[in-house]
Amino acid sequence: MNWHKVLSLVLWITPHVLLGVLVVVLCKRRLYREFPVFFAYVLYEIAQFILLFALYSIPGAGKQYAYAYCATLLLSIALRFGVIDEVSTDLFRESQLLKVSARRSLQCVTGLLLVVGVLLAVYAPGDNSGRWIAGVSVVNRGAAMVQCGLLLALLLFSRFLGLSWRRSTFGIALGLGILTSVDLAMFALRTAFASWVAVEFFNLLITGTYLVCVSIWIGYVLTLELKPVSLPVVPNDNDNAEVETWNRELRQLLKH
Amino acid sequence: MEQGASTITQALTSQTMIAAWILVAIAFVALGILVYVAIRSRTRRVDLEKAVQAFRSLDIEAFRNLVDSGEEAFLRNNLSPKKFREIKRQRAWAALIYAWEAGRAAAALAKIGQAAQRSSDAEIAAYGVQVAENAFRLRLQTIGACLHLLTEVVLPDLRSPSLPPLVDQYERTAETLFRLGRFSSRAQGLVRPKSA
Repeated sequence: MNWHKVLSLVLWITPHVLLGVLVVVLCKRRLYREFPVFFAYVLYEIAQFILLFALYSIPGAGKQYAYAYCATLLLSIALRFGVIDEVSTDLFRESQLLKVSARRSLQCVTGLLLVVGVLLAVYAPGDNSGRWIAGVSVVNRGAAMVQCGLLLALLLFSRFLGLSWRRSTFGIALGLGILTSVDLAMFALRTAFASWVAVEFFNLLITGTYLVCVSIWIGYVLTLELKPVSLPVVPNDNDNAEVETWNRELRQLLKH
Repeated sequence: MEQGASTITQALTSQTMIAAWILVAIAFVALGILVYVAIRSRTRRVDLEKAVQAFRSLDIEAFRNLVDSGEEAFLRNNLSPKKFREIKRQRAWAALIYAWEAGRAAAALAKIGQAAQRSSDAEIAAYGVQVAENAFRLRLQTIGACLHLLTEVVLPDLRSPSLPPLVDQYERTAETLFRLGRFSSRAQGLVRPKSA
């Protein structure tokens, strides 16, 4: 067994073992109630790994492995969208106003990203020599682009509106964001470089990133939520003594 | 025929390569933003007191004056078109800075509201909901106002419709904030006299 194969197996198996640890942590902290889709996604990823690893171990089951990979990947993509929806629901949970307006904006962003993804698939379909691998790469590339864009939009919205993230929600979003951005880069390169060596190298990078992301999820889920900050000290006077700075700035602006 | 097919294949390959490298660049920018946000969220703490002071220091009367349509009509009637355009641009720019700062203060206030929302005291939590909702509403309105004012800076001659009800929303937010401040002072002794 050469070092490349050992490294591939280690990077393939380790994140899934850690996902098992994550399941235990989620159960112990009863976070599966708050993040049911994320919990289902983690369980699904473990089941997917067991199936694919079993097929990989059976000699001559290459075709079955390929079909199983494609089928399970599609459901995995769908579950990731579910996780993003769960994260956004949690982020906007405290505001009735944002539940409507921010989610509507997110829907617009999703629509826009989907259009870009479809256009990209049409105008840059990639190398067709690898047949199904190239096809899967194109689908995954489009999905990764939409998911990465959505997570970035969520981060920007929260920063812009002054929304507070819960640590666990932020961890889930951060891990998924890193995963989808690296997926986007790797699957974009895969559509362009479909050689065996390139695909193997990209696989190593993807599994390595997955390991980092699972570690991030465990790290954030293990960390306790910060205690709510105490309320600020609000001066109890109603005079307008502090407006001078603004008046001065305004006068300066109007002088020019 | 064969040559044509190879030209099409070449064009498709180059298109794919360009798309691939563009996407790689986008992915790395996204990754950079994510890592930056993660690091900042660990190191950055919001100075709530400072946020309240920033909110209070905005001179809403001056802003009201800057966007007053009566004032604008007076200037339009009494100044040459060139001078009017110049003054209008300056007024719109100053108002834009006000609106932008009000938006930033609203984002900081939203954090205060959310912190209050998690209070164990039901009344403070209820005030927190109000502060956060008003702050979010104000933040969204400042976006509209900024776009509106930016249009005025670029096209000063354009007779645009009135601004979104930014001032009213600002006052409503301030009112709920000070109500929260007063209540929390009674409940927890959080309000500090000015002299302290």
